[in-house]
Amino acid sequence: MIKQYDLIIIGSGAAGLGAALYSGRYRLKTLVLGKEFGGETAKAGTIENYPGAPAVDGYELMNVMKQQTLAISTEFSNDEVSGIAKHEHCFEVVTGKMTYQTHAIIFATGAERRRLGLPNEKELTGRGVHYCVTCDGPVYGGKTIAMVGGGDASVKGAVLAAEYVNKLFLIVRGKEVSAEPINLERMKTLGDKIEVILETEVKEVVGKNKLEKVVLSRPFKGSTDLVLDGLFVEIGATPNVLLAQKLGVVLDERGHIEVDNMMQTNIDGVFAAGDVVNHFGSFKQDITAAAMGAVAATSAYNDRKVHGELCEMHAVPEHK
Amino acid sequence: MKNVTIYSTPTCHFCHAAKEFFKANNVQFTDHDVSSDTQKRDEMLQKSGQMGVPVIFIDDQMVIGFDEGKLKSLLGV
Repeated sequence: MIKQYDLIIIGSGAAGLGAALYSGRYRLKTLVLGKEFGGETAKAGTIENYPGAPAVDGYELMNVMKQQTLAISTEFSNDEVSGIAKHEHCFEVVTGKMTYQTHAIIFATGAERRRLGLPNEKELTGRGVHYCVTCDGPVYGGKTIAMVGGGDASVKGAVLAAEYVNKLFLIVRGKEVSAEPINLERMKTLGDKIEVILETEVKEVVGKNKLEKVVLSRPFKGSTDLVLDGLFVEIGATPNVLLAQKLGVVLDERGHIEVDNMMQTNIDGVFAAGDVVNHFGSFKQDITAAAMGAVAATSAYNDRKVHGELCEMHAVPEHK
Repeated sequence: MKNVTIYSTPTCHFCHAAKEFFKANNVQFTDHDVSSDTQKRDEMLQKSGQMGVPVIFIDDQMVIGFDEGKLKSLLGV
């Protein structure tokens, strides 16, 4: 049997949960599908810039948002979506376990952390090379690590890891570190525990069974070899657009889902929000993601009001 | 009853998710915080080769990361 919804939200980060809160209040029958709960926020450590929630753990903030949506009857599943098909004004969403019919879809699929793309990187992942400093940074108590990346997430991660490690190198490709001033201030208070290496890239990750050192693009203190216990990569993310692309959703020139001001894509009934779109450029925050989710849910609600009955007329065939 | 051990850090969301999963399924578990217990950190590294958390043992079966499907299968829940 095909389960029917007014709206399916794919992704359970700040954008997906922001959308779910509004869709529940619009009384749309809503399902949130998300393999990895909480999105980037859950990995972000302490969140201090979400209004009304002073200094809250990111995972906890996502849990609170989820509880808020559960209270208004939103349903959740951690099934992974394997495919989406369009049947006139209905969409068929398939997971490993179920098939769903929905009038509208919101892609809140977020973005995948970028890798360095170096040989040996995959083999050393979890063995010295990491992509989640909030998860694995504290494992390196008393050790020497480096963080790659010069953005806000990188600086915030470095400050968090500095609580545990003995020494941290911040390896930045550009001429300067670009982070929120409050995070830069915090980094400066840590003195020489954090050392910034500018205009430098990691060219090799070296080690057998565990990371031993990295090779830099130019010498630092007379050598391109930097001996490390751990390396954390924080160099941005690539939007998760594969499912949307297969459905025929148009992307922008940077590879994000293209939306208008109401989060509408090129396909009727399909909306997108959060890190998968480029609506606020590189300013990717919980407050903007949740706001985009709220707008997308409002658009889905308006769409349902205008031609909600069309999905019933063109129901997904029971062929599964 | 199976012997369940998790090596975790306080700021790791996958660790939170795994521990919530255990609690929701009434699974008793031993939690080692490897950010403060370096002996247990070394034990985790020696057993798994991993410096990434969570590392979970269900008796002698190792699960790296929060793999709900695999945990369900190993725990029979």
